[in-house]
Parts: sequence; C-alpha cells; structure tokens
Amino acid sequence: MFFRMIRGVFLRQWKKLLMIALTIALGASLATAMLNVMLDVEDKVNQELKTYGANITVVPKSQSVLSDLYEVEDGSSGQGAYLLEEELGNIKTIFWAFNIVDFSPFIDTQVALDDGSTLTVVGTWFNHHMDLPTGETLDTGVKNLRTWWDITSGAWLDEQVDSDPSACMIGTAVAAQTGAGVGDTLHVSTKYGSTDLRVVAVYDAGGDEDGQIYAPMQTVQELSNTDGYLTSIEVSALTTPDNELAIKAAKDPSSLSIAQYETWYCTAYVSSICYQIQEVITDSVASPVRQVADSEGAILDKTKLLMVLITMLSLVGAALGITNLVTASVMERSQEIGLMKAVGATDRAVSALVLTQMILTGIVGAVIGYFAGFGFAQIIGRTVFSSAIDMKPMVIPIVGILVVAVTLAGSIPAIRMLLRLRPAEVLHGR
Amino acid sequence: MTKQKMFLKMIAASLVRRRSRMLVALLAIAVGATILSGLVTIYYDVPRQMGAQFRNYGANMIFVASGNDAVFDLDTVNQGAAVIPESELLGVTPYRYESVMIHEQPIMAAGTDFAGAKVTSPYWYIDGKWPEKSGEALLGEEVADKLGLSIGDVFNVTCKSGEETDETVIDDGLDMTVAGILNTGGSEEQYIYVDLSDLEALAGPTLKLDVAELSISADQDTLKTYISEIETDTPDIAPRLVKRVTQSESTVLTKLQALVFLVTVVVLLLTMICVATTMTAVVTERRREIGLRKALGASDMEIIGEFMGEGLLLGGVGGILGSILGFVFAQFVSVHVFSSSITFQPLLLPVTIIVSILVTGLACLLPVRSATDVDPALVLKGE
Amino acid sequence: MSLLELKHISKIYGDLKALDDVSLSVDNGEWVAIMGPSGSGKSTMMNIIGCMDKPTLGEVLLDGVDIAKESNKNLTLIRRDKIGLIFQQFHLVNYLTAVENVMMAQYYHSIPDEKEALEALERVGLKDRARHLPSQLSGGEQQRVCIARALINHPEIILADEPTGNLDEANENIVLDIFRQLHEEGTTLVVVTHDPEVGEVAQRTVTLEYGKIKSDKKNVNFGKEAVSGEV
Repeated sequence: MFFRMIRGVFLRQWKKLLMIALTIALGASLATAMLNVMLDVEDKVNQELKTYGANITVVPKSQSVLSDLYEVEDGSSGQGAYLLEEELGNIKTIFWAFNIVDFSPFIDTQVALDDGSTLTVVGTWFNHHMDLPTGETLDTGVKNLRTWWDITSGAWLDEQVDSDPSACMIGTAVAAQTGAGVGDTLHVSTKYGSTDLRVVAVYDAGGDEDGQIYAPMQTVQELSNTDGYLTSIEVSALTTPDNELAIKAAKDPSSLSIAQYETWYCTAYVSSICYQIQEVITDSVASPVRQVADSEGAILDKTKLLMVLITMLSLVGAALGITNLVTASVMERSQEIGLMKAVGATDRAVSALVLTQMILTGIVGAVIGYFAGFGFAQIIGRTVFSSAIDMKPMVIPIVGILVVAVTLAGSIPAIRMLLRLRPAEVLHGR
Repeated sequence: MTKQKMFLKMIAASLVRRRSRMLVALLAIAVGATILSGLVTIYYDVPRQMGAQFRNYGANMIFVASGNDAVFDLDTVNQGAAVIPESELLGVTPYRYESVMIHEQPIMAAGTDFAGAKVTSPYWYIDGKWPEKSGEALLGEEVADKLGLSIGDVFNVTCKSGEETDETVIDDGLDMTVAGILNTGGSEEQYIYVDLSDLEALAGPTLKLDVAELSISADQDTLKTYISEIETDTPDIAPRLVKRVTQSESTVLTKLQALVFLVTVVVLLLTMICVATTMTAVVTERRREIGLRKALGASDMEIIGEFMGEGLLLGGVGGILGSILGFVFAQFVSVHVFSSSITFQPLLLPVTIIVSILVTGLACLLPVRSATDVDPALVLKGE
Repeated sequence: MSLLELKHISKIYGDLKALDDVSLSVDNGEWVAIMGPSGSGKSTMMNIIGCMDKPTLGEVLLDGVDIAKESNKNLTLIRRDKIGLIFQQFHLVNYLTAVENVMMAQYYHSIPDEKEALEALERVGLKDRARHLPSQLSGGEQQRVCIARALINHPEIILADEPTGNLDEANENIVLDIFRQLHEEGTTLVVVTHDPEVGEVAQRTVTLEYGKIKSDKKNVNFGKEAVSGEV
C-alpha cells in the first residue's frame, strides 16, 4: 500500500512534483556547474597565465656574468659554460613532464653588420616539432613563449614549412637601424664565418629584444662555432603555488625529511620542477623566473579563492531555494496529511510516506540537474577558455548529498509542524 | 473606509497572518537578491581587484630619455608621471646604471629608490632585508656568489677608474654593508643595487637617469593614451609600454572577467528561476482564494492588482534585504580574497530592488492569470 | 413579474447532458429549493444562475437581461451587483477576520464600510465574533459569516449551495431561521440542496433528475414550521 500511495502521487500529482523536481534540478545544476568550474579553474587559469612566457630558466652552472654586462664575447669557454643540445629532450622525461607546456633553447652571439655595428643574434626554435620517446609529439618554441610580440610586418617564421636556415626575424629597433624590411637580406659576420639572413618578419616586443635578431638555432651555432651547445633554455610549466614546504625546499632540498621530500618532489611546485630539470640536464642551474612564477602563484590563489567563495554563495543559494520550495510544497499538503492522520496513520507512517516521495523527487531532480549543470560548466569552459571543463567525479557525491540533505532539511520541519496540528482542524480548513 | 485602505489592509493581513508562507517567499526573494547584488558587485570590482594582483608582475611602463640631449632627471620623470592620476599610479622607480669596482672586479651598479623598487618590482625575493639607509646595498645573487659576500658583510666600492673626473667623486670609494641578497631568476641577479644618493657620491651627480619604471593600475588602452599625453607634455621623455606585462595582463584579465561574467549570468539565471518557481508555488496554493474573490465579483484586473501589490511589497523588501546581504557578501569576498574593501555601487541598490520586484511580479502573474482564467465555480469546487 | 427566468436551457459536456431543456421561473421574493440526487444537474443549474457558467443552449433572463449572451467580464459585474453567494465549504479567506471577510465583498462591489459590515454580522448574531479569524470560528459561525457576506451588497437573489451540508442540526436550524427572516424581509432565495429537511421548509421545491425537472410544487406546509421553529 505504501508503494501504491507513492505511485499514486507520482502518477496523479506529477505536475506538482514536476515543479519540485524542476527546482531541485535547477539547484543541483547550479551546484554542479559551480563545483566543476571551481575545481577546474586553477588548471584553466594556469594555462592562460602561460601567456606571460617562461617561468623557469635553465643556464649553465658556470655562466659568466661578463658577457651580459660588458658584451665581452668569448666563444671558447671551457666545460660547463654551455648546455648540451642533445639533452634537450630530457626535459620531457622528468616526473612532471606532463606539466611542461613549452620550452625553447637559446644560443646567442654577437655579430657585425656590414656597416661595422654589432648586434646580438639569438638562435632558437620557433615552432620546433619534437617526437618524444614516450610517443607523444610536441610543437614548441618561442612562438608560444613570446605571445606578447606584435608582428608589425610579415608573419611568424614557420620552421616546419620554411626550413630555410637563413630565415630570420628582426626587432623594430634593428629594422629602424638597418632600414631592412621583410624580404630584404642582412649580411652578418663573426670571426668564425658569415652568412646572409633573409628577413621574414619584423616584431615589436616592447623591450630589449627589439634590438635583436632571432634566427634558427643551427644557423647561430654555426656562426658562433658552438655546434651542439646552448646558452640557456626557457621552460614554461604549469605549477602549483608555493607554500611553506616549497619555500623551505627551494633553499635546500636536503633539509627536508624523507616524507616531506616525497611530498615536495611529487607536487608541481616550481622549485621541484627546477630540481628535476637540473637532474636531467648536465651542469645546469634551473631557477624560477620570480616575476612570472610568483605572480602566477598570487593570481592562481586569488582566482581559486574567489571561485570558492562564489561557489559557496551559489551552494547556499541553491540549498535555500530547494529547502524553501520543499517546505512550501509540504505545507500545501496539510489537508492530505490531516486526512491520513484521521484515518489512523501514525506520525511515523505519514513522515515516511512524505519523505520518500520528496527524496525520490529530489533524486530525479538531482540527476537532471547534474547533467544540466555539467552542460553549463561546458558553456563556461568553451566560452571563456575555449576548452572543455574536466568532469570531476567528486562532484557527483557532493551534489547527491547536498540534494538529499537539503530535501530532508526542507521537509522535516514542515512535516513536524503539520503533525502537531489536530486532524480536525486541518480538515475543517482552519 | 476608502477602497485604498481596504486594499492595503487586505495585503497587510495576507502578509502578517500568513506569516510562515510569506517568510518562505521572502527568504527566496532575499536569497535571489543577495546573489544578484553580491555577484554583480564582485563582477564590477574584479577588474580593479584582479588588476591590483597583476601589478605583482611589476612595472608596465618605462620612461627612457627621448634622445642623447634630452634632460632626463628625477624632476622630468616626476613631471611625466604627473599626467597619470594619483589613484592609478602605484609607484615610480628611477634607475641609474654605472660600472663600479668591487674587490678589483668590475660590477654593474644600479642607483635606485628602494621604496619605489618595492612597489615596481614586487616579485623581488630578498634574502635578508631591504636596504633602509644610505650605505646599505642589495646584491644580486650571482654577484654575491662571485664576490663571496654574504649578508652583513662590508665591502668597498670605487668608481671604475678613469670614467668620472669630477672632484666630488670619492676616490677611496665607499664602504657599504650587504643588507640583502636579491633573487629574481633574471638578469637583476648580476647587479648590485644602492641608493641613488650613494651612487651620486661615487660616480658624481650627473643627474641623468637611465630609465624609470612605473607601475600603473590601468588597462592597456588607458596606458596608451597616457603615453601619447606624456609624449606631448614632456618631450624629453620617451615612454614605452612593457609589452610582455601589459599584453599578457589584458589577455588574462579579459578571460578572468569573462569567467566571472558567465558565472554571474549562469548563477543569476538559475537563481531567478528558482525564486520564480517558489513564488509560483506560493501563489498556486491560493487558487481557491482567487476563485472566491472572482465569485464575489472581483474583476480579473482587481485580483491581479492585489496579488501584484503583495508581490511588489515582497519583492521590494526582499530586494532591500538582498542588497544589504549581497554587499556584505561582496565585502567579505573582497576582504578575504583581495584584502581590500569593495566600492559600494549605489546604482546597484535600485537595480536589485527593481529586478527583485520584476521577477517576483512575473512569478506571481502567471499563476494568478491562470487562476483567473478558470471559471470560479471550477476553482471553488476543485479538488 | 419573474425576477429570474430560465428558458429551455441545456448544458452539454461532450456526450453528457447535465441539463436538458430546462425551463424555470423564479418570482421576486420567492424562496425556491432546488433538490435532486447528486448528478441530477443541481450544481450546473446553480452555476448558471450564479453567473459562473453559461448554458450551451437557451436563455437566462435575470431582471430582464439575458445573461447567457453576456461576456465573462459583464457576468462578473452582474454577479457582483445582483447575486449573493453562500457556499457549502464557506470559502472564507483564512487570513482575514470575520468583519474583513464581509468587507471584502463590499470592497469588490463598491466601498468598504465597516459599520455596515458589523451590522450585517449582528443580523446573523455574530457581532461579538467580528474580530475573529475563520480558524477561531465554528462551522456554523463560519457559515453565518458567509451569509452576512452574501447579504452585504443587498443582492436581488441569494444563491445558496448546500448551505447546511457541513453543519450539525443546531447550526442548520440557525441558518434556516436566518433564511426565514430574509424571506419575510422580501429577499429572493434560491437554495440548492439534497437534504429533504432543508427542501421542505422552502416555499417551493423544484426536483431535478437526469438533467430534467421531475417535479415543481408549492410547499403546502410553508409557514407552519416557521412557528414551530421559533419555539
């Protein structure tokens, strides 16, 4: 009979139940959407922040400060003054390889133009294609690490299409100084040789790079007689904002206990990624670019906290909304409950019946709401970040528990109130 | 008694004597209004608040001399910076670079204003402390390694011989203390930083600066207008955008703003529907009463008017409550996330109230209309 | 002259003829009881007379106006001005006091007048209960509020639908006494009921069966019970 009564409600009062289910579905979809977005926002914003470029630089251990400050050129440094090109691929083999979004090697040298003035030529990857030992492929290079460059004329040098080793990109300052434009050639020379560079693009970087020439790595290595050597590597990695452990580890990893070390090594802190890069690149020092790494941490933390608070507000709103409607709809059934009591139902029986109906309705609503909410999360993900929001399994139990708890919280006080009334009063319509 | 008085009396009685139902409705509206005003306040404040976070990336504009003959000293820099409103200008830091000799080794020294550098380079990680008085210096990590200096050590600085011949130059150099070691992961680690006055004492008061860094809380387009203004007002200065910072900031900030915007829209949409269904439930419950009023000779318009009157009142009160709670929430978020208080948007108060009233009114209107459309006899007999 | 005249009215719901070619006229000041088992068409007739429904066929003349042809909006106006309704379930607004419920009828009709409303309640013996909410009143008291509300606008016809259906004997008698009093004052009363006792006290009893008038007779005992009722 119990089930017959429940079925009766569902078959004959479906309009009312539909409304309750709809409201619960709305609340549940709100919760689902917000929780999914909240749990994924860190990854998404982290991706966006990659636009600031590399957050880790790798340099040789005994790099000299001389070249930077006094422009003293000395190509024949001893061991340890350069990184080895053949080890580049190792970067994608570290524990956090998956978090390495982009990286690019650099080799720079001073060249003389025909008019006698000197310039820095930087050899690098533009959009280098790599086949990794893991079977994955990766297109990486400065095109991804210098997103803020404005190409004022021409187009980004495309290594994969235009494999001409003499192609180059020049900064606006170089263009102004030499009068060269797209299609022109610049004759550059060093004590090891000389070559003609064909300008394919002029860029505006808004910084020192405007006075430099960017050319394919091989070309610059030949010019500076440093075949197989690099001066630095820039790495862009997805990282977790630093905490106290990470700060302690950054100073000296050996000061950690074994458990702490494990935690640190297996968390994507910028310091542990640096440490792991140093392990695979001989004689290297990998250090976080504080300007990028620190700011990233601050912005990620704030964004996450902001989303957490907005999510909390939405959850509270959804919970109150559902509680409200459930209370209203239970109160509406005062006559029915009075009648059940009048024909001899115990309080327990009445409560069990009403609660079962409400929870069944709640579950239907929650299931609909979960999928609708996941849809909303995808709309947000696609529109804002142009990528899908990951489905987080933990959202399902959270939403489920929320809906059941909120439905109960909405029904129980209303049922208790109605049970306190005497059946006669209720039936007489008060 | 006038008709108006009876009208108000009926509404008041409905609200006061049906207290529990009205609280349900009021709560729903207040929650909706809270979310509305809270989220919209946050939405408006996020660019400002987040923008401040992005200033952590440091200077987004630099001044350099427009030519070799240009006068480029502190006064010129300040004159140029005066174009930017005080509320947006976070800091200006002048830099002057000179080669100096420490322990017989040539090192590049930068004379600056440390108070300014703290603001324009917030990402500088300092082991030790910032220099506080003249005679204290900040050493880049590489320099410190190379010279074998650590915090608290005293070293002698002389100006690179033969460069300056001014009498004011202290020939035996200056004894300086290492206040802190600078770690940035960038080229700054190869410099030593001293106060501008110390560098003047060492290398002579040429007054000429090399560069000034500015940290301005404004978007890229605003910065561009400042640049053209400064170029016309102070021709000695060539202002430049630090593209890496400004371009990336506008990219990321746009995304973040879009995120908060969409989240706000989705949350509001769902909340408003939620409010509407609750209101609908509350009104649908009173179909019988509507039928009775019709049987007593009330016209549809009169009935709709009365229910709207109630809705209006509920929406208004809920809207006011929600505006206050929403502001409290936004303030809470702002203090906890951004550690700063939020600006009150006065316009939001009427908007919240009007939206609450509209949603409530609409949510009442549909069930009232459907009840008035039915013959009163059916409604009265019903169920 | 008859106040209300039904001319060959039928009400058809699909296949079902709730009323089938019924003609009836009610004179001014008459007290008519409409009786019949459930399903005989009583309620349909009551709704038509009460301007809450329209017949499928036929004319309904109220004060010489054919209400079958009026728009729904005008029906509301006619109902407001000419008809006082009394319901089996009372239908009081549960958040308004007795006097406020009466005043609500005034409000929709013209102008609320508390003094007049209190007088109406006094007539039905509820002066001291005027400030009570319906939930604080007994069934009989609620029905009397309902009667006071029906009277307040001086309608041409009082239309009562099973007015004693929810009442015990004592309260039933109180209500019938009020009806008697109203009749003596010249009010036209149409009472729909299936209770023979209520039917018999009326001046005239019309019995419906299967949508047709089965009998229409003057009550020979009319007036006599009034004396016994007052003992």
